[in-house]
Amino acid sequence: MQVVGVFGHGPAGQRGPSGPDDMAYLVVPGLEAVEGGAAVSVFGALEEALRAILRRHPASLAEVRDASGERRIDVVYDRPGTYPQPGRKPRYRFFVGPEAIGTGGEGTELAPWWGTAEAVEQLIALDRAGRLPLAPGQRIRLSHRELFTPTAVEKWKRTKETIGKSLFLGMTLVLVLPVLSVLGYLLVKAWPALSLSFVLENPRDYMTAGGIWAPLVGTFFLVLFSLLAAAPIGIMAGIYLNEYAGENWATRIINLAVMNLAGVPSIVHALFGVGAFVLFAGMGRSLLAASCTLAVMTLPVIITSTREALASVPMAFREACWNLGATRWQTIRTIVLPNSISGILTGVILQVARAAGETAPILFTGAVFFVPIADHGWESFFPYGPGDRVMALSMHLFTLLTQVRGVDDEIVYGTAVVLIGLVLAVNSLSLGMRVYLRMRKRW
Amino acid sequence: MSSPTPAHPLESQSPRSLCARLHLVLDCLEPVVEWAIRVCGWSAILFVFAIFLFVLREAAPVLFGKLNLVEFFTSTQWQPSSEVRPQYGTLALLVGTLCVTGLAMLLAVPLGLGAAVYISEFCTGRLKEMLKILIELLAAIPSVVWGFIGYVVLGPLIMQLTGAAVGVNLLNGGIILALMSVPVIVSVGEDALKAVPDSYREAAISLGASRWEMVHRVLFPAAKNGLLAAVLLGVGRAIGETMAVLMATGHAVQIPTSLVDPIRTLTATIAAELGETVAGETHYRVLFVIGLVLFAVAFAVNLTADLVVKGIRRDQTD
Repeated sequence: MQVVGVFGHGPAGQRGPSGPDDMAYLVVPGLEAVEGGAAVSVFGALEEALRAILRRHPASLAEVRDASGERRIDVVYDRPGTYPQPGRKPRYRFFVGPEAIGTGGEGTELAPWWGTAEAVEQLIALDRAGRLPLAPGQRIRLSHRELFTPTAVEKWKRTKETIGKSLFLGMTLVLVLPVLSVLGYLLVKAWPALSLSFVLENPRDYMTAGGIWAPLVGTFFLVLFSLLAAAPIGIMAGIYLNEYAGENWATRIINLAVMNLAGVPSIVHALFGVGAFVLFAGMGRSLLAASCTLAVMTLPVIITSTREALASVPMAFREACWNLGATRWQTIRTIVLPNSISGILTGVILQVARAAGETAPILFTGAVFFVPIADHGWESFFPYGPGDRVMALSMHLFTLLTQVRGVDDEIVYGTAVVLIGLVLAVNSLSLGMRVYLRMRKRW
Repeated sequence: MSSPTPAHPLESQSPRSLCARLHLVLDCLEPVVEWAIRVCGWSAILFVFAIFLFVLREAAPVLFGKLNLVEFFTSTQWQPSSEVRPQYGTLALLVGTLCVTGLAMLLAVPLGLGAAVYISEFCTGRLKEMLKILIELLAAIPSVVWGFIGYVVLGPLIMQLTGAAVGVNLLNGGIILALMSVPVIVSVGEDALKAVPDSYREAAISLGASRWEMVHRVLFPAAKNGLLAAVLLGVGRAIGETMAVLMATGHAVQIPTSLVDPIRTLTATIAAELGETVAGETHYRVLFVIGLVLFAVAFAVNLTADLVVKGIRRDQTD
């Protein structure tokens, strides 16, 4: 039997309601008052009080309700004439389960006594053994404990879990909701400007009027050229890493290089573009130099996603193919690539989205504030040659915001919304592809 | 390399179809293709070296010559276009970069890791997919758009709420950078949590742990390295970010004394000034030196993250 924390008080040997001046108050809802308040009965000794509980509730405490609706009875030890303070924490807590066959545990929450009879008997034994010393005002609490319900510890655990879960949910929402609302705000502000002519017209009057056709086409060509450069190299690098490279230090260094290439700041890519393509390779500031810079920058995206797509093709496919006598290249061509093509395309599309949105790498390698291009006819669809300087949508947004004075808000917001829309549309294409891929996965 | 494939006896008489001929041609290309694949496989290393070499090539004349490296790192005087005596002290820029990155991480790390835990452990099904898509959406927004948001939405908001003189400042840049680096932290952090074997979770649950207890007593210690790598990659992203900080931090060369002081970062300096310089002059080359510093920092951060992640792999195979 455990008694929670015994501390001494009064003269040694004095315990419980034993002296003539000592009284034990039994707080029992529904008991007739002998003295004091409505729910309080007075007894001369703890034992008497406990026997009274047994008389009122011979089976269990399931019927009891105290003032706050809890199923419990407090036995308060106090001097005569004082009224027990409600709401004080009990000195000892015991639990009584519903009456069942046999005898129960220790009176604790996890192993309650079975029925009132056992509880009272045990408590009287404890009191006689001197293990329930009480100071005036202290109380013993007997609580009903329903079977198969959570204990207080479990309830606290559940509360903690709910708090933790809502905290994490809150963190997630803090990230997501403001951004969604800002995007909505931008769309609302841009709404007056958005029209087909806005997209199809060139900027006019020092970019304070007109549309965004020239930068849009510029971005398209930048993305196209960078894709032409990055896709073959990236896909082949992915194939090498997944199909050819062994588990050795060289592979590890390549992986490290891919990771580093992805982590190089975009402005350093711009410096590299200036040093390597614009000056060293003699391309000058041109579409070609900017596209090459973008290609180097987006290469890791393609490599990583290609490798992942290839890795998702089960090894058994390859082994089956090799067993039929196919060479490595035949296996890749006829088995591995067809089974992973959608995954690879997903990565390529992600590259497109990334390249379309980048500004820093093209800032000094080929994009310029303004290029006059043809307004209509076929000329307007192919306005830039590889050696020309181009306008780009992301650069255009930056220019409108920071360099041009007196431009209408709608035009700036419209440009931003078209850029976001473009990037998100390309991203959702990649996303849809992934979902489609998962649906028709055959293994 | 590969001999003509012996055709099926029944087909041997009929002329080969176009498709079969194509395959034959492709088979013959195997040596060429394998060679190309190997070369491309090594391209990533090639490009990392190329980036380093070409930036160094432009920076070298001042790096090993005129530039006083002590002044470069310890002086706050950044006056590159001064006629009398141009000074290239990057301390204020360094401090600006550190402050804005630090502030961004202060916001992004708890939020990002919290979101990673929520997405990975507390939600399932449609909600999980939706949240993952939304976080990817954060990653998809181009940096110039983030800068735009900081400039036109967050800036005025900060001016209203704090009474600051300018809306584009350290706080603005920190918040924008935090939102930009969160997707990296969430996705790498989620991968790290996913990498913890399910048996750990099952063991914790069967001992009576609640999900929350499982997360902070079992998963956090087990995924510690991966989560650290997530934070490091977030730092790398924040340090290297250019356009957003160029537009959202106010662009004033000074060591900030309060949250709402405008600052300038290393990256923004390059982006803003390279266009005004002439190739070959000192100012131009000093900007490349800054680029070299950024490259070195990013390299160090990524290398550490990689070593930390490799650390977990080794732990788990033991």
